[in-house]
Amino acid sequence: MTTDQKTPLIEVKHLSKAFSNSRHDLEVLTDINVNFYEGDVAFIVGPSGAGKSTFLRCLNRLEEATAGEIYFEGENILGNKVDIDRHRQKMGMVFQQFNLFPHLSVMSNLTIGPIKLQGISKEEAEERANKLLKRVKLEDRANSFPNQLSGGQKQRIAIARSLCMEPDVMLFDEPTSALDPEMVGEVLEVMRELAEDKMTMIVVTHEMAFAREVANRILFMADRQILEENDPVNFFENPKNERLRAFLDKMI
Amino acid sequence: MSLKENLYLNFIKEDRYMYLVSGLGNTLLITIVAVVVGILVGFLLAYIRTTHDKTGKWKVANLFAQLYITVIRGTPMVLQLLIVYFVIFASVNVPKIIVAFIAFGLNSGAYVAEIIRAGIMSIDQGQFEAGASLGFSYTQSMLYFILPQAIKNVLPALGNEMIVLLKETSVAGYIAMNDLTRGADIIRSQTYSAFAPLLMAAAIYLFFVLIFDSLVKKLERNLKNSDH
Ligand SMILES: Nc1ncnc2c1ncn2[C@@H]1O[C@H](COP(=O)(O)OP(=O)(O)O)[C@@H](O)[C@H]1O
Ligand SMILES: [Mg+2]
Repeated sequence: MTTDQKTPLIEVKHLSKAFSNSRHDLEVLTDINVNFYEGDVAFIVGPSGAGKSTFLRCLNRLEEATAGEIYFEGENILGNKVDIDRHRQKMGMVFQQFNLFPHLSVMSNLTIGPIKLQGISKEEAEERANKLLKRVKLEDRANSFPNQLSGGQKQRIAIARSLCMEPDVMLFDEPTSALDPEMVGEVLEVMRELAEDKMTMIVVTHEMAFAREVANRILFMADRQILEENDPVNFFENPKNERLRAFLDKMI
Repeated sequence: MSLKENLYLNFIKEDRYMYLVSGLGNTLLITIVAVVVGILVGFLLAYIRTTHDKTGKWKVANLFAQLYITVIRGTPMVLQLLIVYFVIFASVNVPKIIVAFIAFGLNSGAYVAEIIRAGIMSIDQGQFEAGASLGFSYTQSMLYFILPQAIKNVLPALGNEMIVLLKETSVAGYIAMNDLTRGADIIRSQTYSAFAPLLMAAAIYLFFVLIFDSLVKKLERNLKNSDH
C-alpha cells in the first residue's frame, strides 16, 4: 500500500515556531514539512530540547505556531476563523504528567467531555467509558479518584479519557517518562493494543525498543527540524544522518 | 452603683438592650449581604485578571480591575463608606442599609478578587491543557475544572474574609447606620456609663468571630480529610 496517494489526515506545511520574550526570540521549529496518514503509528524521537513536545503541541494548538499551515481532515486549523475546540475533540492528547482532573471520579474524568461537548446522554457516555475502562483493565476503578491510583493507572485512565471522545488521532507526549520503571510496561501495553486496533497515533518517546516494535514510521528530530524519517528497521539499521547515528549510539 | 444596678440601667431600663439586638441584626445583615456582593464582584474581577494573565486578552478590563483593586485596598474603609454615601449617593435618596451593602460589598470584592485569583493561579496549567485537549473552551475549562478546585482551595481564606468584614462593618455608624457598635454607643450616651455597653458589644463581636472561626477551621479539616 502506498500511502502517498491517500490524502493525509494531518498535513504540516512550513511549520515554524519561536518562543519570544522581551529580549529575544528562540526558534524551536524551523520549516517543518511532514504528513501523517490514517492508521499511521508515527514515533518521534530525538534529544531532549529538540522541539518534539513543541511540535506535538502545535498540532492541536496548545502552542501557537509562528508560521506555516497545518491541515487536519482537510482544513487549515491555523486559520484565525477556525473553531479549534471542535478539532481538538478529534485529536486526543496524552501528557507526561497525566493531568487527570483530581476533583472528578475516574468515571467523570472519562464522561465529562462526551456529555458536555458531544451532547450524548450520561448513560451512553458511561457505557462508552465502561468499555474503555475494560480496555485499559481498570474497570473496577470507575468510582475511584485520581489520587487513589498509581502512576501507571493514572496514565491508563488518561488514555481512556482521550479515547472516550472517539478521536481520529491520538498524540502522546512522553507518556511513560514520569512513571516508575515497573509501571512503564502496563502503559506501553495499552498503547500497543491501540496501535493494533489501527488507531492513528503520533508518539514522542524515549522508549526505543517499543518504537521499533510498534511504529510504522519513526521520525528523528534535532536542531529544530525533522532530520530523518524511516521505517523502524531501516531507522535503526541504516541511519544516514550523522546526528541520528550519534543519538542511537547513546540511546542503545 | 452596684453591678446589678449598672446592668439594669444599661440593658433593661427602657428596653435599652434592643439597641444591641437591632444593631446586631444590622451588623449581621450587612456582613452577609456584603459577603455575597463581595464574592460576585470578586469573581468577576478575578476572572478578568486571570483571563488577561493567561490569554493576553481583555487589556482594558484588566487595567480597570487592577486600578479598582489597588484603590480599594489602598484607602480606608471608612472613607470609602463616606464617599459612597455623601458623594455617589449624595443627590439620591437611598436607604442607608443599601448604601452599607454596596460600600462594604465593593470593598470586600477587591479582597475576594485577590483570594480567588491566587486560588486560580495555584491550579496547575496542565489542568487547562487537559481541558483544552479534549475540546473544552477556556471558559468551559475554567468552569468545570479550574474553579471547582480553586474555590475548594480558597474556602478557608474566604471564611477569614467574612470574619474581617464582620468587624469592619463597625464603622457603619459613620453614616448613622444603627449597627452593633453604634447601638452600644447610643446606650453609653444615654446612660453616661461606658463600661457595660461597650464591653457587651465587644463580647458579642468576639462571640460571632469565634463561631465563624470554628466553622472555618472545621471546613479546613473537612477539606483536608476529603482526598479529592
Ligand atoms: N513555553 C516555552 N517558553 C520558552 N521556551 C520554551 C517553551 N517551551 C519549550 N521551550 C524551549 O523550546 C525548546 C524545545 O522544547 P521542547 O519542545 O520541550 O523539546 P523536547 O520535547 O524535544 O524535549 C527547548 O529549548 C525549550 O527550552
Ligand atoms: Mg518534551
